[in-house]
Amino acid sequence: MPLVFTLAFRNLFHDRLRFIATVIGIVFSIVLVTVQMGLYLGFGQMVTTMIDHASADLWIMPKGTKCFEDPSLLDTRQRSRALSIPGATEAIPVVIGFADWRSPSGSSTPVFVVGSDLRAGGLEPWNLIEGRVESLSTPNAVAVDRTYFDRLGISGLGAQAEIRQQSVRVAAVTDGIRSFTTTPYVFMDVDRARAHTGVPPNKATYFLVRVGKGADVEQVRRNLLASLTDVEVLTPAEFRERSRQFWLFGTGAGAALFAGALLGVIVGTVIVAQTLYSSTKDHLNEFATLRAIGSSRKYIYKVIICQALLSAVIGFSLAYLIGLLVVRMTASGALPIVITPGLTMALFLLTVVMCVVSAIAAIMKVTRIDPAMVFTR
Amino acid sequence: MEAAGIAKDLGHGAGQIRALKGVDLALKGGQLTLLMGPSGSGKTTLLSILGCMLTPTEGTVRVRGDSIAGKNPEDLAKLRRENIGFVFQSYHLFPTLSAADNVRLALDVRGETGRDAADKSRAALDRVGLSNKTRNYPRQLSGGEQQRVAIARAVVGDPSVILADEPTAALDTENGKSIMAILATIAKDPGRGVLVVTHDPRLVPFADRIIYIEDGLIVREESGGAQRRS
Repeated sequence: MPLVFTLAFRNLFHDRLRFIATVIGIVFSIVLVTVQMGLYLGFGQMVTTMIDHASADLWIMPKGTKCFEDPSLLDTRQRSRALSIPGATEAIPVVIGFADWRSPSGSSTPVFVVGSDLRAGGLEPWNLIEGRVESLSTPNAVAVDRTYFDRLGISGLGAQAEIRQQSVRVAAVTDGIRSFTTTPYVFMDVDRARAHTGVPPNKATYFLVRVGKGADVEQVRRNLLASLTDVEVLTPAEFRERSRQFWLFGTGAGAALFAGALLGVIVGTVIVAQTLYSSTKDHLNEFATLRAIGSSRKYIYKVIICQALLSAVIGFSLAYLIGLLVVRMTASGALPIVITPGLTMALFLLTVVMCVVSAIAAIMKVTRIDPAMVFTR
Repeated sequence: MEAAGIAKDLGHGAGQIRALKGVDLALKGGQLTLLMGPSGSGKTTLLSILGCMLTPTEGTVRVRGDSIAGKNPEDLAKLRRENIGFVFQSYHLFPTLSAADNVRLALDVRGETGRDAADKSRAALDRVGLSNKTRNYPRQLSGGEQQRVAIARAVVGDPSVILADEPTAALDTENGKSIMAILATIAKDPGRGVLVVTHDPRLVPFADRIIYIEDGLIVREESGGAQRRS
């Protein structure tokens, strides 16, 4: 084992209490950053979940639509025009909107209605655990997520309720389709969605365009934009990005999450810097001895950086385990924390950078060290 | 190692004092030289300058013909690790490293690593009679043993000069004699000069040469007990 590493390891573990304090500081900091960034990713995924699960090559939407939940409406005449564009084989209407759900017991709660042409399969419920998508074509049929049974005041498949004073029946149950607004999604056929949200029969929120095999999506988009008025035509990726931008940055939610993460980094850096600095001060005599026997500054910096990296690896490992636990605990919550391999790598690099930056104060201390002090101590 | 016309001012402004006032000194290979003088006579300042840790206000120091004038701290550190071994009054061993690792450290800073470095460290410890304590930590060693580890650390890199600052001050008579005997043996190498700073007259029998310093000036030089015996 290289002596630099041995020295760094022993310096670090020599004062166990201080080492524990350092590790706690790193763990606290990284868990905080993990939670904030995990929430950011989780939130980012949730706000685009409908776009992710829709089967479309292009989305036609009213000009200025900010996100999927934006209830602006399109005229259905636009659909006919869209279908006249070469390459656009389908333009499936989707209607969304908030409505009031009244349970059999009489209690009411707001719900978010998602209606699509179920024969075309534009935006169907997924993760079905009871019932079938086809059953949503039967009269009054809707699909809800089992997570919201309590909120909706129902017990499962076959339950009756009312939306906008019109009777509905739970014909399918999904698992894990949760809304970040905590308002339950209710899936149904597009015509019924119009009736339940008060959208006129000649209106729709979106048209999901499918492009024929071999057709150029970009060309179809250009033609759609030239032919239709007061609309935007976005690819799923563009719509996803727009929704994310709106919810994460337009509302300030993302900035708040980033601010929390930044706070975590600052707290962690200060704690590690303080510990490394005091550890260096405690070992100043030894560093002076190293300098006296002819070590280069680089050698001493290596010892300090090695200490910082060791702290980073140990602190990150513990923080990662706690992070996994948090992910598990929030998996079925309203806003799950998501840790991706990319985030894990980024967090590890952040920990390393944080610890190395923290070593600067200690390095500055030893840079000014006078080797002649070994004769007076 | 040669020092000529060394003067050193310490402190600033009204508090400034001239600690050395023109010292000429040459360390010869194969000799153990004692530098003796009372407290405040300039011994430690001279040792720091000879050890390339301080630069003189006036005069020149040459190590193997190479002047230290104008060298930056990194160049001076290189001079130290390649040419000078140090033995300190309070040993300055690393408490978290074993005796062998403490010795190996002097090689590690020179970039000598691996099995060869480990073998050299063991050999150096063997030379000071500690072959059975290579794995012991400083806290598990007596004062005399710790100083012997420090001597092994000083000699392991085969330096041309060894500078020892009051190496027996913290030891009892028996251990002090043992340490001086080791240093005297090391000084027999014609390629190596040993300078021991002390105010302990009991070390005189081990010296080939004794230099007396007072108020920053060398006032007298005489042959030591070892020289007279030979």
